[in-house]
Amino acid sequence: MKTVVRRLSGHLARGLAMIWVVTTLSFVIIRNIPGDPVRGQYEKLIEQGMSPDAAERATAALYGFLPKGSLWSQYVDYLNGLIHGNLGQSLSTPGTGVATIIGSAAKWTILPVLGGTLLSFLLGVTLGVYAAVKRSGKLGDALSISGSLLHGVPQYVIALLVVAVFSTLWPILPSGGPVDIMFTPGFNGPYIASLIQHATLPVLTYALASYGGWILAMKSSVATVLGDDFIMAAELRGMSRGILFRYIARNAILPLFTILALSLGMLFGGAIFIESIFNYPGLGLLLVNSIGARDYALMGGTFLVLTVAIVIANIAADLLYAVIDPRVRKGETA
Amino acid sequence: MTRTSAPGVRVDDLTVVYKTPAGELPALGGVSLSLAPGTITGIVGESGSGKSTLALSLLNAVQSPGRIKNGTVEIDGLGNIVELKGEDLRKARGRQVGYVFQAAQNSLNPLKTVGKQLLDLGRSHDFDDLPALLKDARSLLGRMGLDGGRVLDSYQHELSGGMRQRVGIMLALVLNAHLVVLDEPTTALDMITQAAILRIVREVHHERGLTTLIVTHDMGVAAEVTDSLAVMYGGRVVEHGPTTEVLGAPRHPYTKGLIRAIPRLSGDIDGATALPGRPPTLGTIPLQGCVFRERCPMRIAVCDTVDPVPVTRDARTVACHAVGRLATPVVPKEYA
Repeated sequence: MKTVVRRLSGHLARGLAMIWVVTTLSFVIIRNIPGDPVRGQYEKLIEQGMSPDAAERATAALYGFLPKGSLWSQYVDYLNGLIHGNLGQSLSTPGTGVATIIGSAAKWTILPVLGGTLLSFLLGVTLGVYAAVKRSGKLGDALSISGSLLHGVPQYVIALLVVAVFSTLWPILPSGGPVDIMFTPGFNGPYIASLIQHATLPVLTYALASYGGWILAMKSSVATVLGDDFIMAAELRGMSRGILFRYIARNAILPLFTILALSLGMLFGGAIFIESIFNYPGLGLLLVNSIGARDYALMGGTFLVLTVAIVIANIAADLLYAVIDPRVRKGETA
Repeated sequence: MTRTSAPGVRVDDLTVVYKTPAGELPALGGVSLSLAPGTITGIVGESGSGKSTLALSLLNAVQSPGRIKNGTVEIDGLGNIVELKGEDLRKARGRQVGYVFQAAQNSLNPLKTVGKQLLDLGRSHDFDDLPALLKDARSLLGRMGLDGGRVLDSYQHELSGGMRQRVGIMLALVLNAHLVVLDEPTTALDMITQAAILRIVREVHHERGLTTLIVTHDMGVAAEVTDSLAVMYGGRVVEHGPTTEVLGAPRHPYTKGLIRAIPRLSGDIDGATALPGRPPTLGTIPLQGCVFRERCPMRIAVCDTVDPVPVTRDARTVACHAVGRLATPVVPKEYA
């Protein structure tokens, strides 16, 4: 128990340091992108005939503040806000907190991407085992080829193909948007049915786009384990097929576990292309729009959420790894 | 169903071929060998002589791309294991024939404790009384000088090479198999651990009444534990007989060469003479004639065309034209 606490605190310290570094970098980079929304608004008002004073007052009222001071003092203010849990105010939708915007976008990203990732993981891992076991047969070849093919096709191409097939050629599913506006939001049948209908194609796209990677990774992992001495030993001791299969699967899935944890962290980055194509108001679309609008606070907030998610996913993967692999469990004391 | 006495084993005309780009090449070319019930038989030979292939054949477990092309392996109480398939074969492995791997090999699942793997083994062989199985395992491990309870709770990475090897022996014996095959059981172990393992093998063999086959390339190991010794070369058993006789008065020119190549603990290191030439590989085994003729000091004309048939005389089997022709073996000059 003591070692777990020590490990965890070490992880947390490292995680916080990592978050600070990423925050600082993204702060510096974002402030150096050409274009300044506040200045743009101020100049627009002057062009419309306002006096400079009035324009400044109007701009300040619109955004709730005016950027003053050096980059350094802005940075200190920003960090200070972060420590107090304040991500700042959005510039493109004045008067709304960044946290609120991210929160409402996150729900459109997390569930579909989580569903898609888990679906492709389960499918890819299961089929990967077959591809490895039957690697000299036709079925194995077919599975491997399907993996390489899907792995090689970019996400947005898959998204467009999926839309073409299921919305245009064979119109059974909606091609965009998160839900039909005709239903009242809430926990009622038609609304949920509409949600699921709209989520199907994005989820399918996520799953297809990542399935290839899983099947190829699992295939090579299983092939390696199959050549391990202990598998032959278990066979020569007359272990039953079921037990043998479990020995192979559990050993082969270990390296994939880290990749899964990381890709769950990446969830919070949203899927920029897929969300754009399906007009799905998730974090990816939010990030693209905030960059377009030079919304510093929103950009910084999205980056921060993504960073924190990946750091947490890393820590979780590391701790879970110790649970499933006894060799790691005692690795630090040995 | 399980035998309580040591089984005899008769390997007859066993041919094992490996599929290569150059066609199917023989790793074992018509091997015949009998293991008398209750004895320890050793197989010695250089790398690539077919020792391990022969050992695996006793479990009908020749690994792909190899296959048993011809011949039989009759085990008392089990029949011809070459003809066993599927579940029958799986259940014979472990239950009737125990197999111990090289010490250097990792023969345990790294993610499970020894005890859990033992339970897996018990369940695979339909053992109802698993607590009794654990108890047997603990006492076997205790018998080999280990703390059974602790070892059963350990993972592979927590055990030393010598401990793993003892666990391997325990797993081969715990289901009460009476035929045990040990493939290079002491390779990669230090001398003290090696001596301990060999002592254990000998003691357990006598206590349990086993028929044991030990594959080794170490003449010292063979001399120490075996009752009878088979010498392999190029996929053939070239000489087989009681260990003391084979080592004390070798008849086949290859056995003689092997023994002369052993360096002595005392005396001049140059007293050991290496065999000239190299052992054949799968691709260079001659397809006709004697496999040893290229390195043989006793080579005669017939060796080039006819593979010598093993001839048994006074419990000694030798496959050599030059030896077979002479009523009494004559020691050629260079070995005198």
